[in-house]
Amino acid sequence: MTTPLILLPGDDVPSDYLPSNSSAPLRLGPGLRLLSEQVPTSSGSSGSHVITATQAGLVSTDTKKNGVSIASFPNRRYIPTTNDLVIAQVHHSSADFFHCMITPQAPHVLLPQLAFEGATKKTRPMLRGGDLVYARVLSVGVGAGAEVELTCVNPATGKAEPGGLGPLTGGMVFDISTGMAARLIRASSSKGDDEDGVEGLVVLDELGKKLESVGGFEIAVGRNGKVWVDSSNGGDSSVKATVAIGRCLTTIDEHELNTTDQRKLVTRILREMRVE
Amino acid sequence: MNKEAPLSIAERDFVLNALREDVRLDGRGLDQLRPLKVSFGEEYGHVKVQLGKTTLIIRISSEVTKPRDDRPFDGVFTIALELTAMGSPAWDNGRQGDLETYVTNVVDRVVRHSNALDTESLCILKGISCWSIRADVHVVDYDGNLIDAACIGVMAGLQHFRRPDAVVKDGQVVVYGIDERLPVALNITHKPLAITFHTFDEGKRVILDATRKEEQASEADVVIGMNSAGDVCYVSKFSGAPVDAMVFVTKSKVALEKVKEINGIIDKALQADLAKRTDTGMVEQSRAENDR
Repeated sequence: MTTPLILLPGDDVPSDYLPSNSSAPLRLGPGLRLLSEQVPTSSGSSGSHVITATQAGLVSTDTKKNGVSIASFPNRRYIPTTNDLVIAQVHHSSADFFHCMITPQAPHVLLPQLAFEGATKKTRPMLRGGDLVYARVLSVGVGAGAEVELTCVNPATGKAEPGGLGPLTGGMVFDISTGMAARLIRASSSKGDDEDGVEGLVVLDELGKKLESVGGFEIAVGRNGKVWVDSSNGGDSSVKATVAIGRCLTTIDEHELNTTDQRKLVTRILREMRVE
Repeated sequence: MNKEAPLSIAERDFVLNALREDVRLDGRGLDQLRPLKVSFGEEYGHVKVQLGKTTLIIRISSEVTKPRDDRPFDGVFTIALELTAMGSPAWDNGRQGDLETYVTNVVDRVVRHSNALDTESLCILKGISCWSIRADVHVVDYDGNLIDAACIGVMAGLQHFRRPDAVVKDGQVVVYGIDERLPVALNITHKPLAITFHTFDEGKRVILDATRKEEQASEADVVIGMNSAGDVCYVSKFSGAPVDAMVFVTKSKVALEKVKEINGIIDKALQADLAKRTDTGMVEQSRAENDR
């Protein structure tokens, strides 16, 4: 369990690498697939599934959510997986749907016009082509040509869950690799007081501390390799702060930086951009 | 889908607002190039150009052909540039887009029509045989400013390339292999390069070496082709919003500076490569006087 495990497509995940918490159902993240069911054994149900990797990468487990996923090498191609948070760009709208892009040059995905918090026929948001939406992948369909559907509400509660889903106004979008996006999401969702940060990322905490004086910033990370950053509270230095955040994230994505280097990078870029 | 994905409204507005404060997305100055790296492969005329994330591989090759009937003293020089799906998912193989036509045209004008390569020196036997030099440009990764990168690559390739030696003996053309006789460098008359500027905010902001996002958000582009001596060999402004005439004057100065800077980088890379070749003794081995 302690040694890192790298899988190639087609490899089975050994059962001792799966989280042992049996109270919640096991959640499969990106890069994994439940391929077949083994013959049920009398010893119990825990070992009755074969989970196979569909991408090469590092097995990472989340004991709290009882999830397991593959942290892939840095690539920029995003394959939609149910429950991923993505930043979609509206392309055009039809009677009931917004047709959105989550990856350029890939078929459009559908976002129902009523899938927003508190949206009715009269109060639904009027989005134009080029607007950005922070949404969750509701379903990916089966087989070739299946349509991917997004949503900005939890269908069960009618609330925007997790908070922040919906249209994104202002700000700037930066492109990062899908692996980096996954790391950022994990780093920000599980708050650790660890000095090394979660997933080896301290950049957001560091930026948050340093930019508090200029009004802080808002950030939304999409699993499709996009980060939306807005620091419009910052007044005069808001543009510079946003660019600085974007530069920090893209540099860390391209170069393998440890936590001290990340802190140094943040200080250096903020000084270069004359924010503070 | 043979189309670049459009920028979102937020990105477009932000790029413009940032430029109004003289801030660029990667923290560069308005007249600053991205880091440029020129490297050479094992064979002559194999160049890799990296301008920020834009990466090109240029291959120069030569063969003996018949000269064109109307120009019996001239050799043939062609630049072939094709945008394939390798460079960007927005491009389709075998389908020519607007960008491809545009870039091919500009590179052809800047390098070939300015006579950077002396085609008369490629003649072997009048009207019967001459050298045909071909430059193939392959885009490996695309993040804006293809024109400048392609010009840098083709010019570096032409300076690096060595063609086999050929002589005429009793009316017969004899071509010596690279290991038989020292291959011959091409005759370069001058070193022109293109410098592309993009304008924003009704022509009030002009930036150099735009990235893909900046190119998409821009109003118009201005290309200035120039050599290190300051001779302007190409100026164009094909489409987009009008640009003030003074922009051409002021930016020509910037272009001259940049052309000198880039030519300096190419020269340095060429010298480093030459030194490496002498170290490995390839020049010594290929001398004509050697016993074989």
